[in-house]
Amino acid sequence: MFSQVKYALIDSFGRVLTKLAVFLPGVLALLLAVVILALLGAALSAGARSLLLRMRFDERVSERNSAGLSDWAPSHSPSLLISRLIFWACVVLGLVIGVSAYDAAGTSDLTPFILPYLAHSVGALLILIGGTIFARYISRSVLISAVNAKLNYARALSLGVKWLVLIFTAAMVLDHLEIGGNIVEIGFGILFGGMVLALALAFGLGSRDIVARSIERTADRATPMDQASERSSESVRYVRHF
Amino acid sequence: MSSAADMEMRVDPPHSANPATTGIAVCLGTWCADATVEQLTPILKLLQAALGSRTASVIVAYPATNPQADAWQHEGFSMQPYAFDGNKPSLNTTTAASYRNMQDVMQTYKTSCGILLGAEAQTLHPDALRGMVDAVLDRNADVALPRYSVGSNEALINAALLYPLSRAIFGVKACFPFALDQVLSVRAAERMAVAAGQAAKASGGDAFVWPTAEAAAAGFIVAEITAGTRIFPIQPNTDLSLVLNLLGSSLFSEIEAKASFWQRTRPLQAMLSLDVVPAQHVTTEPVSSDEVAEMIESFRIAHGNLQEIWSLVLPPQTLLGLKRLSRMPNESFSMPDALWVRILYDFVLAYRLRTINRGHLLGTLTPLYLAWVASHILAAQTTDATNPPESLARAFEADKPYLVSRWRWPDRFNP
Repeated sequence: MFSQVKYALIDSFGRVLTKLAVFLPGVLALLLAVVILALLGAALSAGARSLLLRMRFDERVSERNSAGLSDWAPSHSPSLLISRLIFWACVVLGLVIGVSAYDAAGTSDLTPFILPYLAHSVGALLILIGGTIFARYISRSVLISAVNAKLNYARALSLGVKWLVLIFTAAMVLDHLEIGGNIVEIGFGILFGGMVLALALAFGLGSRDIVARSIERTADRATPMDQASERSSESVRYVRHF
Repeated sequence: MSSAADMEMRVDPPHSANPATTGIAVCLGTWCADATVEQLTPILKLLQAALGSRTASVIVAYPATNPQADAWQHEGFSMQPYAFDGNKPSLNTTTAASYRNMQDVMQTYKTSCGILLGAEAQTLHPDALRGMVDAVLDRNADVALPRYSVGSNEALINAALLYPLSRAIFGVKACFPFALDQVLSVRAAERMAVAAGQAAKASGGDAFVWPTAEAAAAGFIVAEITAGTRIFPIQPNTDLSLVLNLLGSSLFSEIEAKASFWQRTRPLQAMLSLDVVPAQHVTTEPVSSDEVAEMIESFRIAHGNLQEIWSLVLPPQTLLGLKRLSRMPNESFSMPDALWVRILYDFVLAYRLRTINRGHLLGTLTPLYLAWVASHILAAQTTDATNPPESLARAFEADKPYLVSRWRWPDRFNP
């Protein structure tokens, strides 16, 4: 009996070692692909950066496009943005090649699931980054516009818009990763719809007086000339800015 | 086309007092697109009164959407339509396209000076226009600008931003650096047209050119002629934020482009000043306390909501000054000149460093500008200050070293 146990254990151990021996080359191939492509990416990125600096690319972009690429680039340097894009593109490519190499090592039943999921993860990450940047930009725009429109609740409006965009982004990310399924869809619909309704009520109820005055002004302008004296007087402005 | 740096460094030799021709080109802006004879008659009357015997050599160019429109003669003037695509600019003022159109007309007809006239130009005093033309044709000036007599409640963006910044940074004392009406010599028109081309490439339809900045960089002679009162055109767009955004971004970009010029210590540029029309004290209707209170309230709302954005741009001392200002009662609301100077200089720096999106940056300037306006109006009710205020311009000049040092070493202070 003890020898049967011994043979069973040795057999199991052998299988583990075999699996490991089959698994390790794939992992090594993956790591090697990522490292090589990362080094290549670093070299290409440095080369591209020095070429763009020699061409005075940053100055030319800011001369021709005063609002645009430079506003989005890190440290407001479009050449730095391009060089970083090149580097990370090579890293992602290395990851893709590495996963293919891992698959070619004949190891895995997981590969048909890993590669698509990896692609979706990259997509989800990009959606998250883009959504966050957009949320910050739009909330700041709303804040400034609301302040210039003399709305007391400007900050609340801006925060509301920011969270709307962030929740929308989060729902898109989860949907892209196929996490949660219908629960996420329904939950998002309820939450988003509720927030929009709350904002609409707040804006509508809060701006009642402004809307009423605006309608009144429009009606006054339509008053016939012979009833001009009955028009409500609108304050005349004597300040001319330009 | 020369680069901005090349244009900046080139200083042209003085032009001769006797140009080869004495023709004058008058360029009317898009405000009179497809104008009829009746609409142009008041302008032609002004030109007749101002130019007298020179009328025979005047070409009047006006915009026309019909590319087949022919030239025609009217009361001794040669009327020349120029192509116009129908897109009117957001502001009723002289845009980059006006300079290019004028340069085209001047080159085609070999005229010796060009006149740009803005909307409502028929209300300009003929003596003022004659003085500007004489300054260019007879007294060797390259750029002749009017000095309008305005009330304390008028031309406030000019008083708060355009005049003091132009004077302090470019060293030109012209009170209206962005005047509606201008007279330019041949070389000044060429230079403005090149600058207009570059500005149009960068900004598109609403590009502006700053004649005082270009004149200072090129070493041109600027003349300022007193012009009396003039009616300013109603702007199609009454959104103050948009107007400030357009003018502010254009001026800040110009400051950034000519940084290597204005950072060198120079004395104020000598300017030819001619008193042609006696200066008039213009009395305007007093601004109601409600309107002033509205402006102050706008500033207080902004102070409560924009701290996070202002703190990215303004240093703690300025933020403290704004905090004190927000707590002042309406009756004694007063923004010190030094505070406004620092605010503008910090905004110029933030524009250059792209601390935040440029559109957002200029959006946050609006409530600060309204605070200055409220303070200026309240001060004007008790004192007899000029418009634009001389004391503010001197404050900008005195604090220019702050701008220069922060421009050169931006990392030394990071709010």
